[in-house]
Amino acid sequence: MSVQFYLFLLINGLSLGMLLFIIASGLTLVFGVLRVINFAHGSLYMIGAFLAYSLSLLMTGGSLFSFFVMLLVVPPLIAVIGFVLEYTLFRRIYRAEHLLQLLLTYALVLILDDLVRLVWGGDPRNVTRPEFLAGSVSFFGMALPTYNVFILCIGPAIALGLWLMLYRTRAGNLMRATVSYPDTLGALGVNVSWVMTSTFMLGCWLAGLGGVLMSSFANIDLAIGMEKIIECFAVVVIGGLGSVGGALLGSLIIGVGITWLPVLLASVGVQEASRWALVFPYAMMAVVLIVRPWGLFGKPER
Amino acid sequence: MMVNARNSEASSGTARWLVGAVVVVALFALPFILSQLGRTGEYWIWVTTEMLIMALFAMSLNLILGYGGMVSFGHAAFFGVGAYTVALLMKKAGAPLVLALALAPVTAAIAAAVIGWFCVRLIGLYFAILTLAFGQLLYMVVFQWYTFTGGDDGIHGIPKPEILTPIAYYLLCLVLFLICFLVMRMIMNSSFGLTIRTIRENMERAKFIGVNVRRFQWYNFILAGAFAGLAGGLLCELNRFAQTEFLHWSKSAEPILASLVGGMYSLVGPAIGSAVLIFLKIIVQQAHPSLVETWAIFLGLILLVVVLFAPGGLVGLYQRLTGKSET
Repeated sequence: MSVQFYLFLLINGLSLGMLLFIIASGLTLVFGVLRVINFAHGSLYMIGAFLAYSLSLLMTGGSLFSFFVMLLVVPPLIAVIGFVLEYTLFRRIYRAEHLLQLLLTYALVLILDDLVRLVWGGDPRNVTRPEFLAGSVSFFGMALPTYNVFILCIGPAIALGLWLMLYRTRAGNLMRATVSYPDTLGALGVNVSWVMTSTFMLGCWLAGLGGVLMSSFANIDLAIGMEKIIECFAVVVIGGLGSVGGALLGSLIIGVGITWLPVLLASVGVQEASRWALVFPYAMMAVVLIVRPWGLFGKPER
Repeated sequence: MMVNARNSEASSGTARWLVGAVVVVALFALPFILSQLGRTGEYWIWVTTEMLIMALFAMSLNLILGYGGMVSFGHAAFFGVGAYTVALLMKKAGAPLVLALALAPVTAAIAAAVIGWFCVRLIGLYFAILTLAFGQLLYMVVFQWYTFTGGDDGIHGIPKPEILTPIAYYLLCLVLFLICFLVMRMIMNSSFGLTIRTIRENMERAKFIGVNVRRFQWYNFILAGAFAGLAGGLLCELNRFAQTEFLHWSKSAEPILASLVGGMYSLVGPAIGSAVLIFLKIIVQQAHPSLVETWAIFLGLILLVVVLFAPGGLVGLYQRLTGKSET
């Protein structure tokens, strides 16, 4: 195989990784501030994807306008759903055991996933890409799908935006302070639960954004929520729970790994290589947890 | 962590033995009563057999969850290993059911020993995620390995011995369930069980008094895996097939939900919980055909209510209502 082919795969892997990062960064932010692992994050992402699909039906498919409307409308809608969930449910369990928190979010998965099925049905759907992003870009003699390149640009923009927000704004300072010293922050007169609600909404906004981007990236069906949440777990564990930078690294590792491994395995002569490569995120997650439980970027607790 | 643990299990009064005896007699009589009901009766014998098996699965998880305070999201792995052991031995090697069922907990225990050895090094959330990762890893391997496990087709048509009528199989499951129940009860009331509970209540202190925490947790993990393997083997023979779903992490959630609904600080809680959930599922689905699709919503709502308002589960509610503190 030529170097070019591997480069092609690398770029595709990176754009897959960027998409994963957008979703996983929401999960890790929420964990960092709220100390709750939100199983329902994948379901919110799925709802975002299906909402984008419904919106695209209302407008002329494939127009740039409809794509922008989806990008502007859907993520805030998911954030509003997040607000409702946080305000009515999550708030009650911040001080509860891990198990109860996990189970609450798992209950939400059961409910939300079935609601999605009731509303949209089980058929796979797809959203037409806007013409502007539908073609391909030639790059060193390779034809790269424009949409992948577009995601490759959006991902770092989101990462940069998150970094600026977390480290250069008051809101970000409050969030980071909530991670380390929630009680002190409260004693200083900050409304900590409002910080938590906002963070949760931001996380959901990211899930919604990921959903919109995914809806034009590949087919969407009822399985994507479950599938993505496990991948996000892998990403977040590899990078370190609560670390946004870690999530970026983890996403790229998983994205590139998923695209490269089938080819690598096949070239060594493994049968059914593309199927075996699916094991990769889990294996990676297990290895990192065994060797460095706090992740590549995290710090050991206590 | 879990404050409302009461450890007066040893002081069981005669009343409790009496209740237990009545329940056991009723359980033995049940299939004979049901068999008078014709087709529906046969169906309910099948359902109650499944209830017994899933109750055993839930109780096995509760050894680590309720008693050990370790949240595992990969317990289905051992359930699945047990199921596939029975399926492969009977279908491919032509082994008799007795041998297959005897080996199911052994292979599951071996899998649990390997996976547990890594997992017990972590605590809390990290333990939960690592068990999830290993569980999914095993699921993926079974899912991909067509030549050995049949991949996503599963293994079908597992032979059924002639003498095993539905009633006979129910009785077999009941006897095994009761034996496992008594063994678990014995283990959890022994010094081993008390140590496990000590670790749950305060791991640091357990370390200070010289308990090898990891080793105890590891042994407990293996035990739980072995019982789960037996449950998996039994379900495999009941359905006469093994499928990859048995190892999926959503299957791991089932005994957790059962433990939560039933009450995880007692031995019978999870068993009651899983029987109640299976019963509710069938009632909901029979109430109206359109409800078949929405069972997950019901389950989710039940779960929400339990998490928010009754984290002690049914057994906890019963204790609160009667003011008793026997766990």
